Amino acid sequence: MVDEEEIIRVAELMKIDLEEHGEHVSRVKKMLEYFDILDQIDLSSEEITAQQKSLNELRKDEFIPNDKKLIESLKNFREHYVRAPKMN
Amino acid sequence: MTKIGLEIHCQLTKLESKLFCSCKANYREFEPNHNICPVCMGLPGSLPRLNQKAVESATSIALALTCDTPEKIAFFRKNYFYPDLPKNFQITQLNVYGDMSVGGEGYVRVEDKNIKIRRIQLEEDPGRIIYEGASERTKITLVDYNRAGTPLVEIVTDPDFESPRQVRVFLNILSDLLENLGVAEPGLEGAMRADGNVSIEGGNKVEIKNIGSFHDLEKALHFEITRQQSLFERDIEIAQETRHWDDRRKITVSSRSKEEDQDYRYFLENDIPWVKIDQSTRDRLKENMPESISSKKERYVEKFDIAPQVADIIASDRYYSKLFESAYSDHNAKDIANLITTDVIGFIDTKEKQENSKITSEHLSELIDAINSKTITRNSAKVALQEIMKSGKNTKDVLNEMDLGQVSDSSEIDTIISQIFEDEKQAVIDAKERPETVNFLVGKVMQKTKGKADPVKTLELIKSKLNQ
Amino acid sequence: MNLNTSILKYIEDVKSGTFTVEEFTTETLQRIKDVDSDVHAYLSLNDSAINDAKLIDQKISSGEKIGQCYGFPISIKDNICITGTKTTCASKILENFIAPYTATVINRLQNEDVVITGKTNLDEFAMGLTTEFSAFGPTKNPWNLDYVPGGSSGGSAASVAANECLASLGSDTGGSVRNPASFCSVVGLKPTYGLISRYGLISYANSIEQIGPMTKTVKDSAFLLNVIAGQDANDDTTIDNNNVDYLENIEDGIEGKKIGIIKEMTTSEGLSQEVSTATKDAICDFESLGASCEDVTLPTIPYTVAAYYTITSTEAGSNLARYDNIRYGYELESEGYEYNSYISKSRAKFGPEVTRRIILGGFVPSAGHAGKYFLKALKVKSKLISEINKAFEKFDYLISPTAPVQPFKFGEKIDDPVTLMLLDYNTVTANLTGKPAISVPYRVINGLPIGMQIMANSLKEKSLFQSAYALESKTNLPEVPL
Repeated sequence: MVDEEEIIRVAELMKIDLEEHGEHVSRVKKMLEYFDILDQIDLSSEEITAQQKSLNELRKDEFIPNDKKLIESLKNFREHYVRAPKMN
Repeated sequence: MTKIGLEIHCQLTKLESKLFCSCKANYREFEPNHNICPVCMGLPGSLPRLNQKAVESATSIALALTCDTPEKIAFFRKNYFYPDLPKNFQITQLNVYGDMSVGGEGYVRVEDKNIKIRRIQLEEDPGRIIYEGASERTKITLVDYNRAGTPLVEIVTDPDFESPRQVRVFLNILSDLLENLGVAEPGLEGAMRADGNVSIEGGNKVEIKNIGSFHDLEKALHFEITRQQSLFERDIEIAQETRHWDDRRKITVSSRSKEEDQDYRYFLENDIPWVKIDQSTRDRLKENMPESISSKKERYVEKFDIAPQVADIIASDRYYSKLFESAYSDHNAKDIANLITTDVIGFIDTKEKQENSKITSEHLSELIDAINSKTITRNSAKVALQEIMKSGKNTKDVLNEMDLGQVSDSSEIDTIISQIFEDEKQAVIDAKERPETVNFLVGKVMQKTKGKADPVKTLELIKSKLNQ
Repeated sequence: MNLNTSILKYIEDVKSGTFTVEEFTTETLQRIKDVDSDVHAYLSLNDSAINDAKLIDQKISSGEKIGQCYGFPISIKDNICITGTKTTCASKILENFIAPYTATVINRLQNEDVVITGKTNLDEFAMGLTTEFSAFGPTKNPWNLDYVPGGSSGGSAASVAANECLASLGSDTGGSVRNPASFCSVVGLKPTYGLISRYGLISYANSIEQIGPMTKTVKDSAFLLNVIAGQDANDDTTIDNNNVDYLENIEDGIEGKKIGIIKEMTTSEGLSQEVSTATKDAICDFESLGASCEDVTLPTIPYTVAAYYTITSTEAGSNLARYDNIRYGYELESEGYEYNSYISKSRAKFGPEVTRRIILGGFVPSAGHAGKYFLKALKVKSKLISEINKAFEKFDYLISPTAPVQPFKFGEKIDDPVTLMLLDYNTVTANLTGKPAISVPYRVINGLPIGMQIMANSLKEKSLFQSAYALESKTNLPEVPL
């Protein structure tokens, strides 16, 4: 079963600093416990499916320049480059 | 025994647009961050729109590598955080609900061995980190997203290679094949990259990443094999890990990153429906596929009696084979092939020169005809080719303007020979004593006529004069 | 001037010169000024609304070609992008995000000459059922300000109910259009998956969500769907609807139609007495309209809420990964941070519910847990689709109350996550199966609304509207007391 440590580990993996874990842990736990209901249904004959399309319905290969200077409407850019924090 | 496997990434640069948006596939001509749109920047609310031709190109590659191609393909999200990844997930393919990437198992014949292809998948390239601040002094990372979303084909092989040399031969065959298909330009900077994995007898598998070029790949593989062998000899366990190629120090370094326990949480990318590729589409792609290099080579050898080495050179290169195919007629194919491999290759030896060259197939045919009818010498043909490459003028004009017509009039050649016999008395004596030195005199005639004298006739005349 | 009017009546009045677009817009903006400090339906207003209205009036008076909307005022849920305007998703993390492009639905509305009043409140990133999870404070239910308006499109529903516009666009991932429609007594449609373009809708769980119209009448809903539905080159998941006219024959009635009453939704534990009684009345009404009603059971339904939350968390965890505050976001100086600590710090701005869903989304599809949660959830979805397709072989419609309960007071249910999840019990089926569903205002009991949900088979919106219109014609509801 999921415990506080695991919640903190997953939060870290999902890149979120948790300021306090208490409430999150108990609520996430409750939700996961509720999900246990999925163990009670027989799904052995089910297959995973999705929407389908044929190849010729896809976008045609055409270069259309984006007319706006998108970069200028974004933050953190410096001499054309986007600025990110240093890597480790 | 050493086992090497490869993961090759090849950009489909021959496409006009990116994999999921209409920005340019070949991002190289743009200022940084000027080949981007809401889709490839992963802005909130934007949706990917799959490029039909990208699917077709990737399927052609799969077919060319004899891979199984499925009825339906699906896309998946590979979730991880990195600054060059605008959505913080990469749209790629995966075979979890059966084979659903563009290509399943196939193989490539390398010398006497079949190298097994495990799968081929279509995916998006990330952006580029231009500058990575890693030290205390540098506090930022700079990113250019022009490349983000460029269509990329990943080819994964089984660990079937036994040596770095075999890897090199395979990569040459593969790049020729991709170029021949007209879907990629492996020669473009960064257009084709490969990661490798290496294991030696009794050791664990080690992945090597961050390799910039094929040249470095070979070096990295050599280094890694040596490293593993020396560990083995000292009875030290070879850890299963990912190592990075340190280009500066030319060694592989253990990655401290937690890449191993990275959980990518792969799941279906539902913004892109599963794409149905029916048999008739695959048949059409197969039909439209250019002839394979090996089949071309075979045909050249069998049909025209061209030497295998010559056939190989021409078949492996798209430019030469195109030039050859459109120039040959059954009677002079062999001559044209030889003209290409002895003369044309000499001065059209880069992609750039190939692009700029104005030589057409007609030029080649006409030059061969002129040589065969003894209108010009081989030597003159070479001179003419150089001029034609630059100007593209028609053959006749070039031969006239450069005065390259062959001198085959006996009396004219005779006059020149008499003059040379006067000037080179010692050589004449030598030639009389040792007939094999006669070529010196022939050379003098050629020099004097700027290579235009009919060499056969010249020799004949010199010999008869020596016997007088 | 009566602001409590339908779109269709409004268009008639503008055409006949009863009032101008500018007059109606001015009055609507005044209404917003008067009531929105209480209701808090809007997060931002369109500064150029009056200007837009004037331009449309000019078009009308000069005889220029005019779009079919004639400038009726519409509000837009704040998770749909409009170029140059803030699109916040009611989140601190997008507090200052100005969209550099426009959603397809907005383009279609603007091409037909609407006046956009502003952007409406929601639970942060559309995750919630009450708007209590909005980072900018909850919206109040216009029927009783102490009660929640439902969610996540609570601002949209409240803006329509409080006469702060004539219609709104919401989005529905698990009931986010229908639930607040039910709670605020407006008509809310969740169309067939793929009928309306999602280009420009900020994704929460992209495999099941749709934009949907929220209106005062069923006919208005059909009118609005005519404007916004249909294939879009910017969204590969959209499908061709052959330009169906949803208004045409809407009054044809449901004589002889077969209606299935979903047993799992009408006998569930959480169903309130008032809602149960109202449902029985609705069944009587359907029968009096000439339809035949019969119980139907879909045995997979008890598992749908777990499957729904598993799928939506997984997709949310991935869809919300892009908010790393690097390419856009809010000001946070990166100096002194390295990459991982910077984005983790930035993402701490997500509110509590979003944070929990992201954590769940990191957990349920992970290599070690996918087999227990995520893959099962996908199979529940497959099983449910087979069951409902089978049901539609026999029935034209499947009905249930939209929500198991009436609106409740703020703070009443927010503390128990399972209770909150179960409020979606009747609505998630339409999302997991991709089927269209509509919530029709049916009763107001103790001053609080109750809506009825009708579901139809894929792309049967036209037939769905016919049944909804028939039911609507059987009701006689009071005006909102605000």
